[in-house]
Amino acid sequence: MTYLNNLPALRIEADALARHLPRLSAQTRASDAAHLGSAGRRRAGTGEDFWEYRRYNTEDDASRVDWRRSAQGDALFVRETELETARSLYFWIDPHAGFHWRGSEDRPTKADRARILSMAIANLLSREGERVGLLGSGQPAAFGKRALERLYQMIASAADPAIKDDLIAPKRAGAAIIASDFYDPIDTWATRLAPIAAKCRDGVLIAISDPTETDFPFKGRVRLSRPGTTLQRILGRAETVQTDYAAKYEANRAALSKLAGKLGWQLITHSTGEDALVAAAQLHARLSRLGERA
Amino acid sequence: MTLGPFLFLAPLALLALVALPVIWWILRATPPMPQEAALPSLRLLEGIEPSEETPAHTPWWILLLRLAAAALAIIGLSGPIYAPGTQADTGEDGPLLIVIDDGWTSAPRWGELVDAARANLETVSRDTPIHLLTTAPRSRAFDPATRTERPDMAQRLASLDPSPWATDRRDALARLDASGLTPQRIFWASSGMDDPTGQTDPDGTDTQTGLSGAAFATALAARAPLTIYAAPPRTGMAITALDVDATGALVTLVRVQTATEADLFVSALSRDGTGIATASAHFEAGAATTGARFTLPPAALSRADRFRIAGVEGAGAIWLWDSAARRPRIGLVSDGEVTQPLLSDLHYVRQALAPFAIIEEGTLENLVLAAPDAIIMTDIGEIPEADLGRLTDWVTGGGALIRFAGPRLAAQGDALTPTPLRRASRALGGALAWDEPQSLAPFPPSSPFSGLPTPTDAKIRQQVLARPAPDLDEKTWARLEDGSPLVTAAPLGSGMVVLYHITAGPDWSDLPYAGVFVEMLRRSVAAGQSQTIANADGLYAPQLVLDGFGRLVPPSDLAAPISAADFPQTQPSEVNPPGLYQGPAGSLALNAARDYVPAPITDWPAGATLLGDAEARALPLAGLALGLALALIAIDLLVALATAGRLTTTRAARTTALLIALTLPLTGPSAVQNSAEAQVYSEEELANPALLMRFGYILTGDTDTDTRVREGLNGLSRYLTERTSVAPSTPDAVDPETDPLELYPLIYLAVPETARPLSPDAIANLNAYMRTGGALILDTRNGASVSGESDFSGLQNLLAGLDAPSLAPVPADHVVTRSYYLIDSFPGRYSGRKLWIDASTITPGERRGDGVSSLFVGDADWVSAWASDARGRALYGVDGGKLQREYALRFGINLAMHILTGNYKEDQVHLPTLLERLGQDDDLADEPEGAPEE
Repeated sequence: MTYLNNLPALRIEADALARHLPRLSAQTRASDAAHLGSAGRRRAGTGEDFWEYRRYNTEDDASRVDWRRSAQGDALFVRETELETARSLYFWIDPHAGFHWRGSEDRPTKADRARILSMAIANLLSREGERVGLLGSGQPAAFGKRALERLYQMIASAADPAIKDDLIAPKRAGAAIIASDFYDPIDTWATRLAPIAAKCRDGVLIAISDPTETDFPFKGRVRLSRPGTTLQRILGRAETVQTDYAAKYEANRAALSKLAGKLGWQLITHSTGEDALVAAAQLHARLSRLGERA
Repeated sequence: MTLGPFLFLAPLALLALVALPVIWWILRATPPMPQEAALPSLRLLEGIEPSEETPAHTPWWILLLRLAAAALAIIGLSGPIYAPGTQADTGEDGPLLIVIDDGWTSAPRWGELVDAARANLETVSRDTPIHLLTTAPRSRAFDPATRTERPDMAQRLASLDPSPWATDRRDALARLDASGLTPQRIFWASSGMDDPTGQTDPDGTDTQTGLSGAAFATALAARAPLTIYAAPPRTGMAITALDVDATGALVTLVRVQTATEADLFVSALSRDGTGIATASAHFEAGAATTGARFTLPPAALSRADRFRIAGVEGAGAIWLWDSAARRPRIGLVSDGEVTQPLLSDLHYVRQALAPFAIIEEGTLENLVLAAPDAIIMTDIGEIPEADLGRLTDWVTGGGALIRFAGPRLAAQGDALTPTPLRRASRALGGALAWDEPQSLAPFPPSSPFSGLPTPTDAKIRQQVLARPAPDLDEKTWARLEDGSPLVTAAPLGSGMVVLYHITAGPDWSDLPYAGVFVEMLRRSVAAGQSQTIANADGLYAPQLVLDGFGRLVPPSDLAAPISAADFPQTQPSEVNPPGLYQGPAGSLALNAARDYVPAPITDWPAGATLLGDAEARALPLAGLALGLALALIAIDLLVALATAGRLTTTRAARTTALLIALTLPLTGPSAVQNSAEAQVYSEEELANPALLMRFGYILTGDTDTDTRVREGLNGLSRYLTERTSVAPSTPDAVDPETDPLELYPLIYLAVPETARPLSPDAIANLNAYMRTGGALILDTRNGASVSGESDFSGLQNLLAGLDAPSLAPVPADHVVTRSYYLIDSFPGRYSGRKLWIDASTITPGERRGDGVSSLFVGDADWVSAWASDARGRALYGVDGGKLQREYALRFGINLAMHILTGNYKEDQVHLPTLLERLGQDDDLADEPEGAPEE
């Protein structure tokens, strides 16, 4: 089945996936991705809510001493508040018809896999108080249950081809998670990703492919066509171009990896033949290390 | 044009075979269709040029297939005919005479005879004049002088039917002579049998009226070269006699070809053609006759109207059974046990009729129900009122009521007598009487008894007297010497009431001792159904006649009545076709094969060419060749689809089945339909969707609501299957206007806020559903309202006209709270809501039916709490979390149990009392809440 516009089913799959993943404690050193927010980081820092009393250190400013607490004993105490930060993470799922495609009935489409991954990760991030949003939706990233729900609905209905193909840079800085198959030429992608990269220092490219696309299992006389376009081509003996195709495919992935490196982003390659948990775990690990380089 | 045993109607079409190499060249150059595939990563292939883009070949075997298809099509269009019996053309186009035997003996192999004649037509050229001579005499026979072209003759032969009477070849020869035709060739499609009346004589001439088959052949051969195709019936061909006795019937069969053993079946059919019984007949090798015995109770046998040899066509294979040959069924009204059986009146009647009739005894009521041909009552004075009505109806419907007088009838009679009686009997020759005992006078000529000998020694000593009336004379069938009526009769409706003015025993007269008493009784019995026995004068008019294939048809306008005297000697003919004839004494049957002795023609004249079965056929091959070509093209299509990848493995079987079903229409369309619908229901469910229990829900038109209800009922069904012995199948969406609601024990209607009112038809169907024991569950799903009160105002609008009972909230001790789990509330997505049911089912005294309310109304949105996906994961949130969802499911299970088991669970109410009496009340009191009460 395809999950197109079937929010309950998508939600079940995504929630099941999210349950398998540990908490996402994203590092917050990437200062430009951080904003003050109401979500506690569960450690001491800048915020409004009380976090802990700790012993006074000599480097602390004297004005920070909490006299009411200190009066109860001999030692001086400093009142710490909880660190409250939130980052913005923007998701984008390729609306191209070729992305809503599967090579076999027993596999999900690439877009469905991307949706489930995005929803699961968004769920985890939202639970940690991060802002989540969808690129090109016109809505800013936001936190809270309602924001997550809105994101879910937008993701579930994002198969609408009427949604603009172009990536629109977010107004606010953040991290971008871009899911596509990246089969267009790398130069095109570099152009398209440039405005995003200007706003988002961090990002993850999720390159999802179907096993049919990696294996090129065609033989004999085949007319190949690209879904959603009029592009088509007749091959007299398809098996003869298989090695060339494989080389091209590898080159595409290498170039993509290079592009990601140039942007300072991460790349995850994933095949719909694999379990969704593999990609989710990879994505989880990448997000956990976001900003480490800073 | 002929080519060996083959004949071509359009030989010029064969020239197209020259084009085959061209077709081969074209086919070779056309590559096969490419396989279609989608590949989003196609842009990666940009710039790649395939190293070897070989021009695709058509494989040699596909070439062969297509060439064979083309060749077969060309050959088929040239109209080939396989005709091994074809003679080489003589080159002259003289007239061809076709003689065909169309008597009833030809019927079993009529199709072969006509085929042989038509095959012979194919061998002559289109312009040859053809003449036809049929050997069975018909007033509208074809004139042999009429010249006919080949296509017309083929049609004429196809429209020819065998006649139900025999051939008369002498007459046919005379007609041929009269026509003055001198044929070039003669073809005789012969039945292979002599005329029934003809006998072969040593010098080849006739002895009686008929002409022997050999003599006929000789006479034909003398006129022109003769070709004969003889098709004598292969197996038993005719029923020649029928014998009936007390235990059944024996049907005599004859056959012609006696070399091997053979088994046949004979069916006894009733008047309307339903089979009553079947008997088998076995021909020993070498035997020409055999019998088929029906062992049947006489009452069953008497319903038989005709006998027929199964699988054999022709008038001879049918034996019609007339009323004269049938044994009447007679009921004797007996009044219980008899102390002196030999002195009982009934004994004499029984003895007199036993050889001729099937006798049943019993009370009047039972006898009238059995509807025999006649009922005989001995000295019954007054018939009870209830029986009288039934008896009168039966007589009016054609029964014959025969009553005997006696002391009781003399004392008090009833209305059911032919003529009013005096309330006394007249004794003759007693001690105080003046008169001597009297004899019978000769029977009056108008009486059915006329013709019977007058018994002189039988004296009548006592009798009841008829009151004088103007029409008494007409009603009198027999009288005494002094003229007083002894037997009177009067018709009543289409039946007859006959009164013997004496007792059936010897008390009042000697008549029961006389032999004529038997005949008088028999004729009285036949008086019912307005049948009167054997009047030698009457005319018998044809009522139903047989056609040449042995079917009963109305008589043609040529069929004439037969006088009773001539009937035994009548031979079937066009004027007197075999069939049932109705006359004054009932029906008489004229059977085509009565006493028929089969006489096959053996000594054919030396000059004639005799064709066997194989040579006489002509097999047109055009259809076969074209069909084969079509099949090859179909195979080619499948192959093309397979190479193009259009035949996926899952769909291949279905598509193949479809194509085979299209090419071979004999396989029927059912397979195609099944494969199309198999996705919706399995075969078993398709055969009978009522086999599996399932819940239903009414579609509201609101997609979200409908989805929820479907998922909710799915979830409930799944939990029921897991936890209880109830295993509902997938719930169905029902349309109350059209679908059969009675298949669903429970129908759920979740009411969306924007509900459209149901149509009057739907409301009427829902009313019928609720009246006949269905349970309709209404859920407004708006239990989130702050006030604790439920708001059902929208329902009135939606269900206007629904025959809703007065509702009341379910009390705490109602059976639905413990039909499976012990529960105390009915939560769904919202908790603390009330459940409303038919108020009359709450109070035990007012309860009707099984005590299950036909209507359940609530607003707790149960389906949302029940809904779960295929892996049992809940789909929607519930106010109270997991615990409330569990309680909601328990309520759902309770509800289903309550609806399915009715008040059965309620009988458990008495369980505590019963256990208490057994001294085990402690166990029950400790039962924890929520544990299954089982």
